[in-house]
Amino acid sequence: MVTATVEAGRRHRSSFIARKTTRQAVLIWCFLAPSLLIFLLYRILPLAWNVILSFQAWSPLRPAVWIGFDNYDEMLTDEVFWQSLWNTLYIIGSAPIGIAIALALALLVNADIRGRDVYRTAIFLSYPLMTVAVAIIWRWMFDERVGLINYVARSLHLVDSPIQFLNSFTWALPSVIAANIWQMLGFYMIILLTGLQNIPGNLYEAAEIDGANAFRRFLRITLPLLKPSIFLCFVIGMLNSVTSFDLVYVMTGGGPGRATEILVTYIYKLGFVQTRFDYAAAVTVVFFIMLITIAWAANRFSGGNAGAVERD
Amino acid sequence: MRHYPRWPIHLILLVASFIMLVPFYWVLKTSVSGENIFTYPPNIIPRNPHLFYYVDVWYAIPFARYFLNSVIVSVLTIAANVIFNAMAGYALTRGFRGKNLVLMLFLSCMMVPFQATIIPAYLITGKLGLLDSYLGLALPQFSTIICIFVFKASFDAVPKSLIDAAKIDGLSEWRIIWKVMMPLAKSAMATNIILSFIWSWNNFLWPLIMTRSADMQTLPLGLSRFLSYQEDTTGALYAFCVMVLAPGILLFLLAQKEFIQGLTSGATKG
Amino acid sequence: MDRRTVIKGGLAMAGVLAAPAYLRAQSNKKISMLTWNIADQEAYFKELFADFTKDNPGVEIEWLDKKGPELPAFYQTQLVAGTAPDIIDLQGMIWVEWAANGALLDMSPMLEKEPAVAKLYNPDYLSGFVYDKKQFAIPFYVAKTLLYYNKTMFKEAGLSGPPKSFDEIINFSQAMAKGEKTGFLTLNFDWLYWPLMRMNGVELLKPDMRTPAFNTPETAAVLDKLAKATASGGINKIAWTGRWVEPNGAFASGNVGMLQAHSASYFFVKGQGPWVNPDTLGATQAPGNWSTPTNHAFVISKSSKNPEVAWALIKHMTGNKWATKFALSRRILTGNVEADNTVLAKMKTEDPLAHAVLQTQIEHTDKMTGNWPLPNDAQVKDAFWPEIQNAVLGRKDSKTALADAERAVTRVMRRS
Repeated sequence: MVTATVEAGRRHRSSFIARKTTRQAVLIWCFLAPSLLIFLLYRILPLAWNVILSFQAWSPLRPAVWIGFDNYDEMLTDEVFWQSLWNTLYIIGSAPIGIAIALALALLVNADIRGRDVYRTAIFLSYPLMTVAVAIIWRWMFDERVGLINYVARSLHLVDSPIQFLNSFTWALPSVIAANIWQMLGFYMIILLTGLQNIPGNLYEAAEIDGANAFRRFLRITLPLLKPSIFLCFVIGMLNSVTSFDLVYVMTGGGPGRATEILVTYIYKLGFVQTRFDYAAAVTVVFFIMLITIAWAANRFSGGNAGAVERD
Repeated sequence: MRHYPRWPIHLILLVASFIMLVPFYWVLKTSVSGENIFTYPPNIIPRNPHLFYYVDVWYAIPFARYFLNSVIVSVLTIAANVIFNAMAGYALTRGFRGKNLVLMLFLSCMMVPFQATIIPAYLITGKLGLLDSYLGLALPQFSTIICIFVFKASFDAVPKSLIDAAKIDGLSEWRIIWKVMMPLAKSAMATNIILSFIWSWNNFLWPLIMTRSADMQTLPLGLSRFLSYQEDTTGALYAFCVMVLAPGILLFLLAQKEFIQGLTSGATKG
Repeated sequence: MDRRTVIKGGLAMAGVLAAPAYLRAQSNKKISMLTWNIADQEAYFKELFADFTKDNPGVEIEWLDKKGPELPAFYQTQLVAGTAPDIIDLQGMIWVEWAANGALLDMSPMLEKEPAVAKLYNPDYLSGFVYDKKQFAIPFYVAKTLLYYNKTMFKEAGLSGPPKSFDEIINFSQAMAKGEKTGFLTLNFDWLYWPLMRMNGVELLKPDMRTPAFNTPETAAVLDKLAKATASGGINKIAWTGRWVEPNGAFASGNVGMLQAHSASYFFVKGQGPWVNPDTLGATQAPGNWSTPTNHAFVISKSSKNPEVAWALIKHMTGNKWATKFALSRRILTGNVEADNTVLAKMKTEDPLAHAVLQTQIEHTDKMTGNWPLPNDAQVKDAFWPEIQNAVLGRKDSKTALADAERAVTRVMRRS
């Protein structure tokens, strides 16, 4: 493939305009080919497999039978599905909290102060960590007996007896979300920082001359121009958190009860623990449609410019 | 810019950095603790610290082998990502028929949860004859959508006049990418390297399903294995955590100037 | 280097990287074995394999180990790809589903041919692996629940001995609950809490093994008692929310009066609780001598190309010599009679407390419950347990919870 493109490039020099466009199109498709091929193999074909399977009854030892919409029907009355869906939406809904904190930190780090690189590093350091390790770290932080969080809360007399964070129906999901935000915060901040530094300084100067105060400048200039970056944060944050299988799997395993069950963990359990790959496929399809819809809505909301990260 | 007091900014950032770093300290502390790690109240500073748990880990699993496997897979992934994503990103800066379709396709590919694709992915990898191999471990991550868009955005920022000038000079498209665009897209490259490294280094479920022989296991598998038979009853688990995380953090700290600065300031230069 | 050489070199390298390691070493009699989370026993298995291949030249053994929650995922993928391991070590009742779906080899003919082999094992444990009148698994190591109790806390509360009935469990728990102290804990994964139900006469299913039998006023009364004791602190909440580390850890802290768990918990508790000795920890049967087993057993895949070699290896591993070694090194029972007697005799002098714990595992093996051979055990469990959890934690009143559980279980049963 590489040779082909090189030759296409060479011939390109001595070609007519009309042939040039065809050749260019060929070149463009050649450039796209490796990525497209990988996505075809590992995203699109598996998705198609899921779509087909969702209309069938199948398990590794039983031949497939077409059953129409039965799997989808079952979802309507499956309480665990609704609980996982709700938990998933809850996690997506918490993404803006992380983004807001990250935005505040980005604004501060963007200020002209000494040691900003140190702060930036400290805040970003949690992102490159292995998620399994993050889960282990936070399980230890939340530990009922000797976890730091309970220790601090007890020392300050905020609580009388230790809170069983990861075993409590009330606290388990927020605890997982806290760990997730801790890991993602640095990433959000870097993206937002990039966005901030791309805002031309003269806009602020003009606004200042017009007498706009800092808060108005933030609302009128910073926030609107930051929209694409915020969109990117939201989409990546959403994908990262709803697919944070490792985190939930190691921290709580979806429990207690179904308190931290999210759609990806449920899909995994349906398939591999209950051997219900057919039904799991139907849940996957619904999950996929849900993510697409949310991403599309977020894109519309941010001004319909998906993918434009750094510039207009 | 008007002058304003700096100390509140420092204060807030100090508190934020503290909160972000405390978990690191807590794990590090546990991993060198000499006392029973379940005594209450926990000691903030470890009493008679020692490295016993680290020795424990070293002998409990073939750490060096797992480490090497993780490095090989990550290097393959990074190399493929930089090349393929740059090519795809460049293609997307051009107008062509079907571009919107490709864009839509890429965006929707992001939404396919990996956990649901294990079985078909496994079968496909098997058909390619890549089971239990480094290439098979790395292949699904050879191109990542987010990174393609990072390249596209970076290339979009290159002034069109520069490309036209290069064309008039008779440079081929291939050369334009590598000689003109890439040097201007250092930030995108840095982002690609660091992100693909992180994703590949952290991958857990795929190697779990994919690898059969003990020689092919990667570090996250070692971590999960360790978690299971030690439960969290000894400090060794935390020593292992530190050993797994240290290389990544070290790499990041060494290269962070290029990474973050490239990432945050590169685009404005374009 | 010109570009072409680079590409060629790259392709050649990709070829090397691509060849799977386990295909590079081929032999005609290859056996693969998948075990369940005992990677720490590498030395034992290496020795055992060497011993086996000495008598069976030309056999090559590939040993794989995955941790519990991930083993089924790994197996299912291998199954779909047609490369299922020949021998698999399975925990709990998963084997029933696999057997019912035709994935496992029926070992009854082999046992009929060699009647001496069947005599090696404890008959109650061995018959626990029969489904549809066929023997699908051979025990590897076994355990069932018992009642641990904290003698110090019993003395403080003025209690003279372990509880003899369900009501005593509840009353004793209440008597010991004070401040941070609670009276009772149980493990709850699989069906390990089920003795609590069974000692009250609660049945999960009618004899047809399809219709729920548990939605009765009696069951509701049991749940109410449990919920009340939980709300008042008699029963520790971890009993209903914790997995493995949490309940054992809580009991090890010395602040809980009783723990219903299997023999493996003893070593966990002893490792974490410096207070544990024969004067402070008691081990006895739960009231009514009811217990729920949680065993490990070897099965053979039907797809195995060398079933006779697989069978020979299983006999080798569960035979007197290697079962004894395993029992001694891990201090557990194996279901192999001679091995278990050896380890019990050794423990009697070395560690009387461990002996007391292990002794419970071979007593009253006729009173095992919560081990129904259900092909859809995982789904029934998933439908049933969350509602029980809701009831005992006071999140739902017990009648509603039972009605919901009945509906969910009925749905599962109708589907299969």
